[in-house]
Amino acid sequence: MKRISLIGCLLATISFVACTDLEVEEVDSIVVEDAAGEFAGVDPATTLESAYGDLRDIGDQNRVFTIAEVPSDEMLVPTRGTDWGDNGVFRTLHSHTWDATHEQVRDTWNRLNQNVFKLNQLLDSRSGASAQQLAEGRFLRAWNMFLVLDFWGKTPFRNVDDGPDVNPEVLESSEAFDFILQDLTDALPDLPTTAPGGNNLTASKAAGNYLMAKLLLNKHIYKGGAPDAADMNAVIAAVDAIAADGYALEAGYFDIFKPDADTETILYTDASIGNRIYNGLHYNQQPSDNPGGGWNGFSATAELYNLFEGPSGDANNTPGSGQEERRGFVPTDGLGYGMLVGQQYDAGGSGAALNDRSGNPLFFTRDLPGLVGNDENTGIRIIKYHPNDGSFRSHLILFRYADAHLMKAEAIMRGGTAATTALAMVNELRVIRGATPFGTITEQNLLDERGRELYQELWRRNDQIRFGTFDDTWAFKESTETFRSKFPIPAQAIGSNPNLIQNEGY
Amino acid sequence: MKKFLLILLVLSVGFQGALLAQTRTVTGTVTGGDDGLGIPRVNVTVKGTTRGVPTDLNGKYSIEVASNETLVFSFVGYTSQEILVGTQTTIDVVLQPDFAELGEVIVIGYGQVEAKDATGAVASVKAKDFNGGVITSPEQLIQGKTAGVQITSASGEPGAGVNIRIRGTSSVRNGNNPLFVVDGIPLSGGDVSPGGLDLGSGTSSARNPLNFINPDDIASMDILKDASATAIYGSRGANGVVIITTKSGKGTEGRVDYSGSMSVSQATNTYELLGREEFLGNLERFGSDPTALDFGASTNWQDLVLRTAIAHKHDLAYSNSYDNGSYRASISYNNQEGIVETSTFERISGRLNINHSFLNDKLQLNGQLTVSRINDQAAPLSETAGFRGDVLGMAYSANPTLPGFADSQIAGIPNPLAMLKYINDNTETDRSLINLSADYDFTDNLNFRVNVGFDNSSSSRGQAYSGALNAGQGGVFGNGRAGYVELENSSRLLEAFFNYEEEIGQGVFSAVAGYSYQEFNSSGSTVIGWGFGTENGNQMINDLRNSTNLIRGNIPGQYQQFGFDNGQFFINQLFPNPGRIDLAERPTTSVTSVAENTFDNTDELQSFFGRVNYTLKDKYLFTATLRADGSTRFGGNNKYGYFPSAAFAWRLSDEDFIPESFSNLKLRLGYGVTGNQEIPHNLHQERQRFSDITINDGGEVVPGTIENVAFDNDDLKWEQTTQWNAGLDFGFLEGRLSGTIDLYRKNTTDLLIQVESAQPAPQPFTWFNIDAEVINQGVELSLNYLLVDGDDFTWDINTNIAYNDNEIQNYDGEDINTGQIRGQGLTGAFAQRISNGQPLYAYYLREFVGYDQSGNSLYGRGDDQNFLDGKSPLPIYNFGLSTNLTYKNFDLAIFLNGQFGHYLYNNSANAFFTAGSYKNGRNVTRETIFTGEGALNNPDVSTRFLEKGDFLRLQSLTFGYNVDIVSDSFLNSLRIYVNAQNLFVITDYTGLDPEANTNAGIDGVPSLGVDFTSFPRPRTFTIGLNASF
Repeated sequence: MKRISLIGCLLATISFVACTDLEVEEVDSIVVEDAAGEFAGVDPATTLESAYGDLRDIGDQNRVFTIAEVPSDEMLVPTRGTDWGDNGVFRTLHSHTWDATHEQVRDTWNRLNQNVFKLNQLLDSRSGASAQQLAEGRFLRAWNMFLVLDFWGKTPFRNVDDGPDVNPEVLESSEAFDFILQDLTDALPDLPTTAPGGNNLTASKAAGNYLMAKLLLNKHIYKGGAPDAADMNAVIAAVDAIAADGYALEAGYFDIFKPDADTETILYTDASIGNRIYNGLHYNQQPSDNPGGGWNGFSATAELYNLFEGPSGDANNTPGSGQEERRGFVPTDGLGYGMLVGQQYDAGGSGAALNDRSGNPLFFTRDLPGLVGNDENTGIRIIKYHPNDGSFRSHLILFRYADAHLMKAEAIMRGGTAATTALAMVNELRVIRGATPFGTITEQNLLDERGRELYQELWRRNDQIRFGTFDDTWAFKESTETFRSKFPIPAQAIGSNPNLIQNEGY
Repeated sequence: MKKFLLILLVLSVGFQGALLAQTRTVTGTVTGGDDGLGIPRVNVTVKGTTRGVPTDLNGKYSIEVASNETLVFSFVGYTSQEILVGTQTTIDVVLQPDFAELGEVIVIGYGQVEAKDATGAVASVKAKDFNGGVITSPEQLIQGKTAGVQITSASGEPGAGVNIRIRGTSSVRNGNNPLFVVDGIPLSGGDVSPGGLDLGSGTSSARNPLNFINPDDIASMDILKDASATAIYGSRGANGVVIITTKSGKGTEGRVDYSGSMSVSQATNTYELLGREEFLGNLERFGSDPTALDFGASTNWQDLVLRTAIAHKHDLAYSNSYDNGSYRASISYNNQEGIVETSTFERISGRLNINHSFLNDKLQLNGQLTVSRINDQAAPLSETAGFRGDVLGMAYSANPTLPGFADSQIAGIPNPLAMLKYINDNTETDRSLINLSADYDFTDNLNFRVNVGFDNSSSSRGQAYSGALNAGQGGVFGNGRAGYVELENSSRLLEAFFNYEEEIGQGVFSAVAGYSYQEFNSSGSTVIGWGFGTENGNQMINDLRNSTNLIRGNIPGQYQQFGFDNGQFFINQLFPNPGRIDLAERPTTSVTSVAENTFDNTDELQSFFGRVNYTLKDKYLFTATLRADGSTRFGGNNKYGYFPSAAFAWRLSDEDFIPESFSNLKLRLGYGVTGNQEIPHNLHQERQRFSDITINDGGEVVPGTIENVAFDNDDLKWEQTTQWNAGLDFGFLEGRLSGTIDLYRKNTTDLLIQVESAQPAPQPFTWFNIDAEVINQGVELSLNYLLVDGDDFTWDINTNIAYNDNEIQNYDGEDINTGQIRGQGLTGAFAQRISNGQPLYAYYLREFVGYDQSGNSLYGRGDDQNFLDGKSPLPIYNFGLSTNLTYKNFDLAIFLNGQFGHYLYNNSANAFFTAGSYKNGRNVTRETIFTGEGALNNPDVSTRFLEKGDFLRLQSLTFGYNVDIVSDSFLNSLRIYVNAQNLFVITDYTGLDPEANTNAGIDGVPSLGVDFTSFPRPRTFTIGLNASF
């Protein structure tokens, strides 16, 4: 720190001359601009690490998870008496009645775009990143911008030299798509090749190819028109490249979500999985490492439950009742897997049937009376990450091979050419999961298969838009407004950037 | 220089010798009409000359004077007298107190004036008018005493923060408190003690930074309200300035003062909750099972959490004065229990005040030193607790059939006593304030003063959640979670200014010109730990400190943060190269996981200031000031701000055309520009540092990552307030009825506020000067009436009332939400919105009209939030009334205050007192279950919980007796008194107390008037004595 001599200052004082130039040296932060106030580059290693850290936000139930899942037909957050009203934020999402002031939509916009700015800093030549750092940075920027594009249909962009007085430019849908595709194309050659069970915490060629497949499979959504065979072939090639790196389907559905190495995990983040478990579990479902229990919120829709093979009815998901593996089961000696429906038992394994807070049996029902008017028991809860393996372990899967596998099947169905068929691929998965193979493949049963395999993994909204069912109606969702496939640009964003034009319909 | 002085001395002696030839000696005693005692240091001057002497300590004087001359006897606070000498050789004078206190001295920035010469809107409150009873901090001394000054303590917790608003709220962010200047040192606006960490049940606010001043050491508090008075403080003057002057030894003669008091406090008000039978008896109606929810006991949790609190305070001071100086030394001890179990405030403070003159009074040295130690023990109270609530929220909602002891914990069901037993929260704060000044008279006209000030504080707050607490948060149960925060603040001030005064023409010209430099450093660290081998809270904090020291010992070099758990040991460092460094040498620690984050930043303020006054014919007074402030908080384009002011006053009562019935009539007009710079450190340079480091519920350290902490923003500048003031001071009946009326209009522009960044951006929020105006305009009236002024009986009444109207204008940005409402199912809920054409913090709510047949809420204007015709938490009227009666040796003082026209949001009721909450097995107030609300109703934020905040409080009542002292007693005076505070409150508000303000800000935009489990304000009885020897 610059020390100003008291005596010098006193002398200055008496002659009424300034004794400081009012420039303070920072000791607990790094100034990343030069003397002229221009951007001077950031440290590439720590900035890249920070950008990976931003992925942890996906582990939170708020923002990305909420706006990707709650508007879809697989999840809802019913208002339960005094609980989960939260100013209507979840009700408007599920019923497709949100507006431009929606808090979760706004927060997601801010987060993802802020991540993009950080990556712009990293990718600027003045930061001096290595080829691999640049590739990873481009991959991450592509992923963040892809989410922005998918949610809002356009992406704002700010150069690192632009101060707060500069309004970010806006890339409209098609332009944004091209920008993302270019980033990803530039990134792929310099991304490392990582085998399953290797360092899947950072980007690999497999992760790049997964994102490439996702991008191209959805291309017609952002660029208009119909799926193009060349793009579908590129999807197939990308998935084949992932498989060539050793990634493959793995048996034992719920084991995949354990922290141990498996052949399906392409990319994960070290976010705590606690929110995924506890946003749904009831307060009285208390595994040993969390005596506070859950928060009794997020629930599966009846539509999701009905997709699975097995006897219907609230009490019919006990072990061995003939349901398929992915629907899970509710045992009496602990916490269940998959779809928790019916009477719930002590997570500690005592076999005691649980009560709710009103003293009534804790019995989760498949059907709900509405988005409001619920008691504590309505709605099925989901467990994919099981607390038996640690409630707060930091291992949340972002990209999984089964998704890539189904993307390839879809690309074949949509005109791509491969050595196998869509039906064969889907059935390959179904056999591993213990479900009856299909006789034919249709839009509907492929979408349903994606629902069964990938529930709670952030893709349902995206899938429904691509399969054209997002403007259908389902329980507690009457709206058929097609413009809702894009979220409104948050009111605050429009207010702060005149270049942004509100999406149609809002 | 010495030679020059010598010549002066010779000349003056010679001159006096010439006069001696024509004069003779007159002696006498000057006594006060109020107590008949001699008054020291009365100015005895010969009219029309510069000759004069002061009286001695016994009021005696001796002066050389001619028989055709007139002697003028004047003293502050008394009416001057003129007496023609004639043939008299002894002239004894009785000076009558001046009721209107026109001679009263008011301290203003860099000087002082007599009230009659003041041109600005300033008010002075002297020690004798201070509020009595249990007073923790200086602001409480003047609560309700001055028109236009609204003082609200955040809660009844001992040492809680205090909100002061002078002439309304003008900023849309924190930093609306006035500038405090203690014996010439402007204090930094920041917190001195750390706020509470969130270890599982929410955060809590820091303590009032002014707690370090012992109220008993204060001689006067002067409040500068309008811009013509505050502009000399430039960028810190927009919210008004409060100048605290401490007691000195002047005018005393070897005196020891002792005052002591003992107080007892109890809650004035508790909620009427359901008892066991009623609780169980109504559950079935709401679809719940009374058998399952019956735990067999009958417990009144409020009773168990609240207590009768004892406080005691002792002040001992020795003061003395001698020919060339004076001194006063004091020590004080104060121990105050809060009415919530375990909360305690303890202060030990010492103060020394020395003045000494050299060179025939030409050089004066002053020194003031305050040292204090504050020990705060806090109950587990929180402003941000979720649905489980803090200890008070739990006491209101806990099932009344649970056994009422700490260890009857049931997982998932809160037990307030377990919280009290298993949560520790202790803060120790040391602060010292040193001020040294030298004053030198170069000539009779020119004076130079240098001030050096040092303000250092060091505070440590340790909090522990024992592993024995069956809490659902933070992985506490079975592991324990603790943390401590250390905060070091220091500020250095150097200030120098000249004072010049000269008669020019028919008037007097005076000027002040000076320079000031102040540096503020704030540094500290936050340490959190998880996984303890002990369940004892104090031991946990000790273990954490020891583990931290062991870990630090294994870290070579500097770091911003470290993380240590079963799997990792690393530091994140910023310099020389930023990054994470994993360390191999692991120490053996008693705590499983430890993480530390540090900060250190410095701000500077450099200023030039000046003031000129010109008084023409003693009737027309002109003042102009200018200050230039340069601050490191602002960007390259706007480092300096310029703050001018001008004022004019006209002493109408000295004009012939004003009837004699006016003992005083003065018109004041003032205009000025002031600023506000209360924003965080360096927001104008693009910077990076590591984000907070945390430990997750499983005990794993989650490292911070490098993040952008500010945008490159060279245009950031001061928030600016322009203020007009017109005032009239008046007095009738020889000053027995006097008063002041002021009209003002404050316009704040270039509002400094953090708004959402236009993304992509480095940060979620960016600080801007937004283009909008906050207008505060109002009227203030104060009246003082001395009803009876007999020998045995006196009675006076003083009242003040202020009206303020607040509105945001010319704002076309996005509305900003604030007033976060907390509780079950209320995530993201807010109650207030900042918008054009509305008052600040205007309520924005659903309009609740009742329930439908199934007991669900019905809303008048649909399920949407709306503004409510300007309803806001800002009081429109503030009122204070005090009356003092004395009869012989008895005295009685009563003080009432009130606020009117505002609304409060009862967040406690919203979070806890709903049918759904009852259905879920939580206790509620009796009326909750008979309103027609259904068990499955969703109590969204609505006008259902909005209530009028009007109240009138009997703030304090003191009854005292001055014991007659026999003349040869060792005692000089002895007074005993009893005092009652908060005897009653008249209000319709259904919460516990209408004066409540829980911090419910959103994204740095503060709120007002939200009441969420506020610490209840007690009723307090005090017995005390003051003695001097």
